[in-house]
Amino acid sequence: METIEIDIRGQLCPATLLVALKEINARGAQLRAGAVKLRFLIDNRDATGTIPESAANMGYGVAVDRQEGWYRVEVFGRQ
Amino acid sequence: MQHPFAFLGTVSLLLGLAAGFIMHRSDFCIAGMFRDLFLLRRTVMLRSFLLLVIATMVLFEAARLLGLLSVYPFPLLYAPSAANIVGGFVFGIGMVLAGGCVVGTLYKMGAGSALSMTAFGGMIVGSGLYAEFHPAWAAFLKKTTFFPGKVTIGQILGIDPLFTVLAVAVPSAAILLSWYRRDAFKRTAFASGYLQPARAALLLAAISAVSYLLVGMPLGVTSTFTKIAGWAERVALPEHYRSLTLYAAVPLNFVHRLAGTAPLTGGPGPVYDALAAIQVPLIIGIVAGSALSAALLGELRFSCRVPARQYALAAGGGLLVGLASRMAPTCNVWHLMGGLPLLAASSILFLCGMLGGAWLGGMLLVRFLGSGIASVAGRMCMPDRGAA
Repeated sequence: METIEIDIRGQLCPATLLVALKEINARGAQLRAGAVKLRFLIDNRDATGTIPESAANMGYGVAVDRQEGWYRVEVFGRQ
Repeated sequence: MQHPFAFLGTVSLLLGLAAGFIMHRSDFCIAGMFRDLFLLRRTVMLRSFLLLVIATMVLFEAARLLGLLSVYPFPLLYAPSAANIVGGFVFGIGMVLAGGCVVGTLYKMGAGSALSMTAFGGMIVGSGLYAEFHPAWAAFLKKTTFFPGKVTIGQILGIDPLFTVLAVAVPSAAILLSWYRRDAFKRTAFASGYLQPARAALLLAAISAVSYLLVGMPLGVTSTFTKIAGWAERVALPEHYRSLTLYAAVPLNFVHRLAGTAPLTGGPGPVYDALAAIQVPLIIGIVAGSALSAALLGELRFSCRVPARQYALAAGGGLLVGLASRMAPTCNVWHLMGGLPLLAASSILFLCGMLGGAWLGGMLLVRFLGSGIASVAGRMCMPDRGAA
């Protein structure tokens, strides 16, 4: 599985969420097929709630890990 | 009292520290609450906003009934005018583009956001820009004022504020209670040390009430933004500065019994007056409180690697917020955390205008960001070691 990493640290909402949604929508087929996983690097606390919520509503799996002063949100297909 | 400014400043600093800390922990972004209503159809944060307004309303009214308030309504709250709607509309657009309202920008600045620092700069410029057409706008405000001399709905209807407060607070409390029973205030978040917004709302309502009791007015910051703009103009363009009537105005003039018998006076001019004594420590407190919260979580970091387009939006949005804060003629915090709980008609009009502005701001934001967001996100492809 390929992981596509998108570094959007420093951005505020809703730009953080809009970037994430755009990437998720652009790679929906690959995500659902399990070919890719999206990894978002964020430091916007609000987005730790909005990205997982939106991705879960779209039917994807989500994992959030806290790093050194920022967060890593992974979105992947549920298989 | 021998040193009223020291007393007012100390209280404001402490309240600012607490507010900044709470806002950072809960990401209590008022701009986001209204923006997401239109952009994402998300209402969970707005429920906490209603809780904030109703809790503040009850606390203010209890303080009034107990005779604890120096003045009612608090100063710098005026009769309703068309200027409230127009100002609110412009404010709504600006706060969405800027990524935060006046205090949202401050607490995000405290956590190290370069975008919010840019928005703050825009707010200062916008505040100064307003001075250029203040006489014409003041005339418009005066000409379109409804119910001169009446500030609250109670005053307009000629009834005791208790009845209007009960008429709003009782049905609202029933709605809030039903949301509480359905766990509808709870927000899923993975941020470290996250404070649920409903708890933040109750704490902020208490802060607002303490400010009204001890300082004589609720939280407000934008007069100081105008003072900074006025100071810059006085230094850079002294002759032009002298021609601007805004900076000579002294709208604040009231006696606050906890600060002595002498009236507290102040205005947007770049002088150290009661407004500066209250607002400067409050601003410092909000920024420092948020920075402290972020530092304790290990999340205090200056981040500036952001697409230029977003800097432009933050600056432009901030400018509109600064401009609208004077047009309205006060900011959203003053109206929504102070005037609305008193059922001030001007604050209700401001809210109506702001809703329209937040809707339009959301549309503009998607338009501005939509075509460029993919190209600006720094990204790379890599194999997943864990899955390999």
